[in-house]
Amino acid sequence: MKVFSKKTDLSLLAFSVVSVLIFGFILQSQISNRHFYVFLIGIGLGISLYHASFGFTGGWRNFIEKKDSKSLRAQILMLAMAVILFSFFINEKSWVYDGKMIGAVAPVNLSVVFGSLLFGFAMQLAGGCGSGTLFTASGGNEKMVITLVFFMIGSLIGTYHFDFWLNVPSLGGVSLLNSLGQFKSVLLQLFILISLYFLVTKLDETRNKKINHGDIYNFSNFRLLNGPWPLLLGSILLVIFNFLMLQVAGHPWGITFAFGLWAAKIVNFLSIADVSSWSFWQLSYPSTALENSVLADPTTVSNLGIIFGALAASTLAGKFFDKSNLNNKIILAAIIGGLLMGYGARLAFGCNVGALFSGIASGSLHGWVWLIFAFLGSLFGVRARRFFYS
Amino acid sequence: MKKFIYLIILSVFLTIALLDHDSNGVAYNPLFHKHGSDDENEIAMPCGLGGTENHKH
Repeated sequence: MKVFSKKTDLSLLAFSVVSVLIFGFILQSQISNRHFYVFLIGIGLGISLYHASFGFTGGWRNFIEKKDSKSLRAQILMLAMAVILFSFFINEKSWVYDGKMIGAVAPVNLSVVFGSLLFGFAMQLAGGCGSGTLFTASGGNEKMVITLVFFMIGSLIGTYHFDFWLNVPSLGGVSLLNSLGQFKSVLLQLFILISLYFLVTKLDETRNKKINHGDIYNFSNFRLLNGPWPLLLGSILLVIFNFLMLQVAGHPWGITFAFGLWAAKIVNFLSIADVSSWSFWQLSYPSTALENSVLADPTTVSNLGIIFGALAASTLAGKFFDKSNLNNKIILAAIIGGLLMGYGARLAFGCNVGALFSGIASGSLHGWVWLIFAFLGSLFGVRARRFFYS
Repeated sequence: MKKFIYLIILSVFLTIALLDHDSNGVAYNPLFHKHGSDDENEIAMPCGLGGTENHKH
């Protein structure tokens, strides 16, 4: 098997390998074994996301514009697998440490509605969601690097407005697992997901006349190290890695908290503002994350893993900086998209990963609310996108 | 050229992370956070991902 193609950039591959060794050593020797495991899980996530090209944004857009349900079907299957697996482990003792694991349960309130609507709109402008922005920026997509920077800024602004959004009407956290019990919760969520699967399939068939169910597990071009991987393999691996994250970190996978934290630390470092005086950063978890090493924050650690994993995967695939078509309108779309996604993710208690994937897997009602309103936002976002990408 | 700019940006970011780690240290480890009085084993989650802290909102 030929590992390196002519397009493989060995200097970039070496950079990612050396970075993994340095950060892996620091995490294992100076912080904890669990941080090191989170880092390894992040690397697995980064490689899986890149090689399977697993993004929510393009899949949703393809469905909205062409009723192409391929990506949506893979996402629905991913959610179904996660619901089944997670429901029987949340609130149970971890295999890795002596303590309980908790789900990504957040309140159902107006801020989730507004935030997810904004996020869905913005991710279509930017051309990537939370995970998509991170793995494509890591793979050398310069537009997404711009998006990531403004994602961080938007996230920080979201934390500044935290007081306002704290006081909007709220139902509180609604856990279907706690309200209905494991079996009823799983059955209800599976029923909804199966119904969604058939709905998107039917709409695809009606519009495109023919549907190939095997398109999400087509291994004909499969290459383990160089990609591409079939979408379904991506779905399965993301569920496994998210489950491992639950076992190791004690909570499911999330991405966007770290973006706000990075921005807050930079603003503090440059003495632009005293972020620690903002009410969000005085909450129990954010305040400790701000005061301590950024490498102690598990979300940061898994994001670093994703960055190095995606960088290595893009290099092995020979696709680093494969696409570059920046112009002023696209840069503007990246800036607006990044800012609004960051702000929306903060309001909605996460992005497509922390709120949608991990939220639904945890049986949290806010994950379903997020799905509905982010999709609505995407309907508008796809229209607005035409102005910037025409 | 783009590759070098990319590597410089990434290196600066990673250096800032290491400097932050060096200056702040890990006096408190979030992964070992005990949260709430009714269940000592329950850990906290980053606000924005859920967790009991958010239930109060």
